[in-house]
Amino acid sequence: MKIGIPRALLYHYYYPFWKTYFDSLGIETVVSSPTNKWIMDKGIKYSVPEICVPIKVYLGHVLELIDRGVDYIFVPRFVSIQKGQFFCPKFMGLPDIIRHTFPEMEPVMLSPYVESTTDDLATSLKQYQIFEDKFGITRSDNRKALKKAETVWKLFREYSLNGYDIPEATQKAMSEGCQTIGDYKRSLDDKYEYAEVTIGVLGYVYNIYDSVISLDIVNRLKEMGVRIKTFEMIDDETLKKQLANMPKTLFWTFSDKLFAAGNHFYHDPDVDGIIHVTAFGCGPDSMLGKLLELDSTKFEKPFMTVRIDEHSGENHLQTRAEAFVDMLKRRKRKLKKGALA
Amino acid sequence: MQELFMGVDVGSVSTNIVVIDKDINVVSSQYIRTNGQPLETVKKGLKQLKSEFPDDTRIHGVGTTGSGRQLVGVMIGADVIKNEITAHATATIQFVPDVRTIFEIGGQDSKIIVVEDQMVVDFAMNTVCAAGTGSFLDHQAERLGIPIDQFGGKALSADRDVRIAGRCTVFAESDMIAKQQFGFSKAEIIKGLCEALVRNYINNLGRGKKLEPPYVFQGGVAANEGIKAAFEKEINHEVLIPEHFNIMGAVGAAILARDEIFVTGRKSKFRGLSAADLEFTPRTFECEDCPNHCEVIEVKVNDEVVARWGDRCGKWTNSVQQLDL
Repeated sequence: MKIGIPRALLYHYYYPFWKTYFDSLGIETVVSSPTNKWIMDKGIKYSVPEICVPIKVYLGHVLELIDRGVDYIFVPRFVSIQKGQFFCPKFMGLPDIIRHTFPEMEPVMLSPYVESTTDDLATSLKQYQIFEDKFGITRSDNRKALKKAETVWKLFREYSLNGYDIPEATQKAMSEGCQTIGDYKRSLDDKYEYAEVTIGVLGYVYNIYDSVISLDIVNRLKEMGVRIKTFEMIDDETLKKQLANMPKTLFWTFSDKLFAAGNHFYHDPDVDGIIHVTAFGCGPDSMLGKLLELDSTKFEKPFMTVRIDEHSGENHLQTRAEAFVDMLKRRKRKLKKGALA
Repeated sequence: MQELFMGVDVGSVSTNIVVIDKDINVVSSQYIRTNGQPLETVKKGLKQLKSEFPDDTRIHGVGTTGSGRQLVGVMIGADVIKNEITAHATATIQFVPDVRTIFEIGGQDSKIIVVEDQMVVDFAMNTVCAAGTGSFLDHQAERLGIPIDQFGGKALSADRDVRIAGRCTVFAESDMIAKQQFGFSKAEIIKGLCEALVRNYINNLGRGKKLEPPYVFQGGVAANEGIKAAFEKEINHEVLIPEHFNIMGAVGAAILARDEIFVTGRKSKFRGLSAADLEFTPRTFECEDCPNHCEVIEVKVNDEVVARWGDRCGKWTNSVQQLDL
């Protein structure tokens, strides 16, 4: 029996958790291929036109998994991982989007109802009970699997907090399993010794770490010798502090984290500029982007919005990214000269 | 012998080739319509240069910019391949050292560049729409039967104001047709159009930015007096148009090449003015080795592959040996 996991949306944040969980229950998993043209085209074909590109891509991944002959597809229903905050309605309704688009998939979908008070998914056992009935798993095995998943996921988060990006952190956490935390401190300065500028890249994990959706912006910037910082590299306490003077939160957990990260980047002297990567038509981002853009002049840090959808052109993005990096480099060189003079 | 540097700006509508001396005086400049053939256009320009300069002339450094910068950079052997923002700003700062805001409107691109202490601090480029750029003005001039070089001047003779919807150029066109039927003169329509385009430009690109004088207006569209007047009306301040307004990108590329050569002390990679005689064949193919189906661009010189790019994995890019011609 095989469970298919679409390599899209929160796969990019929870894969180490899910994979470890299923592994310890002895359930085989299959992950769809990294987004490619076929997946993108299929997703677009079966989606309503006005929906955002990451959801379109998700449908493409589901179709690829069906093509590869999996028995079940894992489509969690993310409702809330933070008290008083929710996910975008498309996440809450994701299983419904899938079953209405492909009615034949309804019986093969595994859709835990994710509602907890922290982004550590092991804290609410309730959502995993569906697997006990379905696969004849005992309560105690389920608990053990969750515990293991939690450990690996925490290790993954720890890597992120030490400056590794998501693919790096995933790979590290998964290959080292339950190794004790502490002996892997990234030699960040080694790797980035030659990085002249640091850019805070703000965007949801499923956009910026999907090289087709984001037109590979992270790697484009790295190739230009830029060091990247993203929201998941900042610990919760620091993020919370940035939100202290907001009269209320943004309602959407990850948008709130991005907003806090943006503010943190404005205050962080290491960050030279901010790029906000947003999917065309993203509702929460229309608030988030504007709030951050307005602060750009106050902190005298350049802020650029990169709006992406399935029609985005690479040339244009390349020009803007190059110009942005160039501007930051020249600015920095000039400042340095000034300091020496 | 004089030290010369060349800058090439390959844009959608025009290709500009500039030669400067080491003190950044423009000694030669060409503004050629690209007509969809960037390589041919550059060859034409190089041939022209060859006829202008003595045979033993050496170019000490070359920079390219514009949407065709990569392809042409490979073709002629550029020392610097730079984006348009940096190139334009570099040139403007050279000629108007205290500039704070640059309006640049070209054939299909428009940009706003904010400068502080001779440094780019912010910019915006049109992203999803080319409303109000040179291509549209070209088209409207043709439709109204007025040569493009007289188009802007015509706006200055308008008696009345008319408001044209400028959010989208397709709709602007239908609005113009309607207003013509309401009895507005061609001059008034053109004036209304210029104002609509400027309004749209400032709203789209200037949004949220503090635009301080001195203002410099450049790019091919800066030749249009109607647009200049509309800018001055919109921001209520004088707008400067630099002498080399329509070739600023190329001038900037030349300056960047000059700086690069001076700083590194390297010998230029330029293939020489006779590069115009080499046979360049670009082609694009779809790599089918993985589901990404990348479009790979390949350039051959006299049947030898000199460059490939466009592949995500780098397999094709890295397969080419760097050739010195």
